[in-house]
This record gives sequence, C-alpha cells and structure tokens, in this order.
Amino acid sequence: MADVAFEAEGESVEEVFRGATQALLESMANPVTVRGGWERAIERRDEDLSELLFDWLSEIVYWKDAAGVVFREAPLTLTQEGGAWLLRAKLIGAPVDQQTQELHADVKGVTKHLYRVGQEGERWKALVVLDI
Amino acid sequence: MKLNTDMTVNRITDEIWEIPASEKPGMLVPARIYATRDILQAMDSGVFDQVTNVACLPGIRRYALCMPDGHWGYGFPIGGVAAFDARDGIISPGGVGYDINCGMRLIRTDLTLADVQPHLERLMTELFRTVPAGVGASGFVRLSGEEFSRVMTHGAKWCVERGYGWHRDLVRMEEGGCIEGADPSLVTDHAIKRGINQLGTLGSGNHYLEVQVVSDEGIFDPVTAAALGITGHEQIVVMVHCGSRGFGHQVASDYLKVFEKCMGRYGITVKDQQLACAPFRSPEGQEYFSAMNCAANTAFANRQVITHQIREAFATVFGRSAESLGMELVYDVAHNIAKVERYPEGELVVHRKGATRAFGPGSPELPEVFRTTGQPVICGGSMETGSYLLVGTDRAVRDTFGSTMHGAGRTMSRAQAKRTVRGAQLQQQMKQRGILVKAVSMSGLAEEAGLAYKDISEVVQSVDRAGITKKVAQLRPIGNIKGCTHRYLKESNGSTPMSPFPRSFYEYVFFCQSGERRGLGSRSVDSWLSHRE
Repeated sequence: MADVAFEAEGESVEEVFRGATQALLESMANPVTVRGGWERAIERRDEDLSELLFDWLSEIVYWKDAAGVVFREAPLTLTQEGGAWLLRAKLIGAPVDQQTQELHADVKGVTKHLYRVGQEGERWKALVVLDI
Repeated sequence: MKLNTDMTVNRITDEIWEIPASEKPGMLVPARIYATRDILQAMDSGVFDQVTNVACLPGIRRYALCMPDGHWGYGFPIGGVAAFDARDGIISPGGVGYDINCGMRLIRTDLTLADVQPHLERLMTELFRTVPAGVGASGFVRLSGEEFSRVMTHGAKWCVERGYGWHRDLVRMEEGGCIEGADPSLVTDHAIKRGINQLGTLGSGNHYLEVQVVSDEGIFDPVTAAALGITGHEQIVVMVHCGSRGFGHQVASDYLKVFEKCMGRYGITVKDQQLACAPFRSPEGQEYFSAMNCAANTAFANRQVITHQIREAFATVFGRSAESLGMELVYDVAHNIAKVERYPEGELVVHRKGATRAFGPGSPELPEVFRTTGQPVICGGSMETGSYLLVGTDRAVRDTFGSTMHGAGRTMSRAQAKRTVRGAQLQQQMKQRGILVKAVSMSGLAEEAGLAYKDISEVVQSVDRAGITKKVAQLRPIGNIKGCTHRYLKESNGSTPMSPFPRSFYEYVFFCQSGERRGLGSRSVDSWLSHRE
C-alpha cells in the first residue's frame, strides 16, 4: 500500500470542497506548472455531502487517467437545492507533459479509509486518504 | 512482551501468535499472526485491530491470518489472509485491495554481473525509456474496446497471441496468467476508460522494476534454485512489481459502492466501512468476482507486456535476442486477489491482500514443472535490502490456506522516511554499493529507503521457520526504476504552499501505515478513528 492523506478545513462546506480539491490537484502535479487548454464542466447532485465530495474527488482522478491530463485549477460552487447539494465545477488542465510540468504522485483513487466530512464547532473539516 | 495493543495475544509457537475470539465482540474465529517476537512487537496497532475486524466477517473459516510483513491497510491489514465459505460466506473488495492482482514477476537471464556491469547505465536508461512510469504514463499498446475486452478475459494469453511473450511463459504464471470467469460486461465504462491506455506501464507508489544479482552465497537451496533456473555465480535476474493500475482501482471502488448499498439487505454489518462485502453467492458478490477477474487478467497482461519491453531492452543493449540471453520467466504471482480454492472444509473464497499463494509440491493445482519444487513465491524487499525467491510448502496448504508473505512491509511512514533520509545522499550511498537508481525526484527516492521497511531477512526467516515457505535464493539489487519517484505534496509545517491557494483552507498530513501524522494544529489519527467509530 502506498498512500497520502490530507485534511481540508474551512468556515463553510464550500471552502472544504475547494481545499480538498486543491489538495488533490497538488498531489498529482504542481498546478502552477500546468497550463490550461483542456476543460470539462461537471455538475453533480447528492443529498449526502460526504458522498458528493467522494464522488467529485474520484471524478477528478478519473479524468486524469481517461483524458491523460493534470490540472491547473478547478473552480467550483456548492449550493443547496430542494434538499440536495448541487456541485457545479470546471476542471481546467492540460495533457501530461513530463518535460514542462512538475508531476507528483499518480493517484489511483480516493479511499474510504478514515474518510470523514463533518462540522466541528464552527468549522467544517474533511479527512481524505488517497491511494497512490 | 510489549505490544501495540491491549488485546490478549497468546504464543502458539515462536512464529505463530493467536488473538482469541473472545477478545472482540463479534469475532467468529481467532486471529493468528505469523511473526517472530521482534516483528510482532514492532507491528502497529492497526494490524491487531484490523485482523480482528476481519475475524468478524460472515462465513470466515478457521482463522483470520496476518503474515509477518503485515501492516495497517484499508479495511483488511496488508499481509492479511482470510478464507470464507463459498456457500454462506462473503467476498470483500477490501480483502483484495484496490490494486487488484498487484503481483511480482521474476525473469532469469544467462548474463552475469561481469557481463552487465559495464553496460548498466545504458541498460537502466533503456529500461527507463521503454517501461513508462509515473503520472499519466500510457503504454505503447493501443487497444480498441473490443480488444481490451479480450485482455480482460484472456490476460497474459492475449499478450502471447499478439507476440508480447512466449507460449512457455504462460506455464510459469499463477493460473497460467488467465483466470476464468471474467466478464467485461460487469466492468463500468469509467474503469475501461481509465485502463485502456495503461497496458505496459509500471504505475506509481511502491511499484518498481529492478535488475538484481544472485551470488553463490545467496542461494539457500541449490537443487530447487537450479530447477527454477537460478544458478548463482553472480547471475542477473529482473524483478517487476506492479498490478492493474487505475483500472483495478476503479473496479474496486465501483463495487465497494455497490456493496455498501446492498449489505443491509443481506443483514451484514461491518466494523469498518472498507470491509464492505456481499455474500459470495449473491448476484452482487458474483458480479464483483467476475469484474475482479477482469482486473486480475489485465494485471497479468500488464506484467507480460512489461516483460516484453524488458526483453527488448536487454536485446538492444547486449545485441542478442532475449531467447539467446536465456530470459525465461521464473514465475509470476499475485498478492492482491480472491480465489476459490478447495480445502478440507470445502470450497473457500481465499482472500489474499499483500499475501502470496504458496502451494507446496503436493498441490494438484500446480503445473508439472513445479511438482517437485513447489510453487515459486517472489517477495520484494526494499531497494537497499534486496528480495527473496522462496517456494510454497504443503504445510502452508494445511495451515494458512496455502498462503505466505509478500514483501518486507513498512515500519516507517513516508514522511518519517523523508525526514530521516535525504534522497540525493541515499542515491550516492547506493551507487557506492553498486546499486544504480533511476529516479525522477530525490525526495521520492528517500520515501523508498530501506530503513522505511522491516528487515526482510527477518520476515523471510519467520515464514521459513514456521514452515509455510522455504527460502531458495536472495536477490541483490544493482539497478532500480521506481514507478513513482516523483515528489509529491510539500509538507505544511511552516513551508509555503506550492500554489497561491490560501493555506488555511487545507493542510497536508502524512501518516500512512504507522499512524504518524503531521500538520498544523492537527489532531491524531487515533482520535479520528475513535471519533468515527
């Protein structure tokens, strides 16, 4: 087993989603070294916030392999509509290029090991373990 | 004896330790750990907790087992072995691991160290070039959807049909490199899209390709070694460690979701979400088994294509065909898999996660070529300590569902290893000892430093003494290509984040198997665990 973990924290659940997203992007490549050019709009809805984050992060890993890209940024918004959470995001990246990009780990997937999303006092937190 | 658990652990022999079924509510069988006293004392608390969680799963027979290289994994411990009744027991992706059919392959050669040493730099460069590794690596094999389906159903046989290997290779693979019952229609489109371009790639994490030497003093059993093509006299061999890549991970993730949803319907509760499972005979259980076999066959094919590339690289560097260099396969063995096998209890679904099948000479399942030797077992050590070739025993079949260890097993988290060892320094030290490493990043190299692992010699000694595997030869590395040596994640203890993103939003923590964790104002992983439970 080879793995890496991160904790995301914020005042709102949207901040936690942004933090976790950024940590995942950086676990694969230094975003600063990735030019744009490849884009994909993604929309996901789920009543379960924990599942929504898990699916979203898994989707990023999927596109890394399926499109052969790494990412510069992934702006997102998170809103509540009719009892469900709605995530609207855009993945922005570029094809993998070992010459110009600072590549990090080849993440295989997001795991449920120690996985947690929740509110602690005034703060929202998520703990995520990635399999690499 | 001081252990990292409050549970009662009874000595059965000097290499076998038992946690009684009374130690945790819900345990259906005792848990047994194979280890020397020193290894047992060094095991992290997660091993004791996880192996006893496994002992609670429906249909488990005899014992939940953990091998001496055991450490904290996802759900099951790495090094875990558990057998469930095929009639009323379960199957669990957590007992197989995310990297389905991650495994080891060993290729022999007629070359000696004297032949290779003058060309080592060129050889490693050629191997580094021809066997893709790391983020976004894609193989040279381009497949249509239909052809990828054939890879899923035919495994290494597909490769040989396409000219990536020799027919006689297939005899020297677990299950002939092709497990029956794989059904591509049960694999999601997501998994296929992730895997279709990855054939022939090493991947990342702790996966590697290593050029090794077998010296005369490294041979413990000359007769068995010779029967397996290992002759000593500074002989060169090549070891490969990799699996089914993102494809296998996606299959595991897809079915974990299915199982999480259906467990309640079958009245199953588990102590850890990653132990999600379904009855083996249920539609969901059978579908996962078929999809898992697709990933297992893809992993066999992956290692076969890599073997083809290795042979091509050697042929290029030495100006002779791979056949004339004697580059025969010694064996290919899975160490993340579930298989239906027959034991005195009947048909059992044996889960091996970070554990290797170890059938003895008497096993009718073995091809003729291994009937006198027993099945080869390939155990990877760290870059510094070397690796081992062993053979299975009839005792393993009796005592451990024909299973043994798979590697050294970590004792130190990656972050600890990085703090303790500097990559560039390590590379220099290894070069002085005759080991050439091709690494993209020095930090990543430090993560795989030998001191991050248990002493493989002691791990091997404990399974040898326990009689579940027999030592054949020690393999000393002289060149290594890491699947993932890229630097990843800057630690956040005061350092500047790599992007302009506000640091307060997140922090990186590293704990891996040891439970150790770093970060700003972070609470311990143990408290996360207890909070969750």
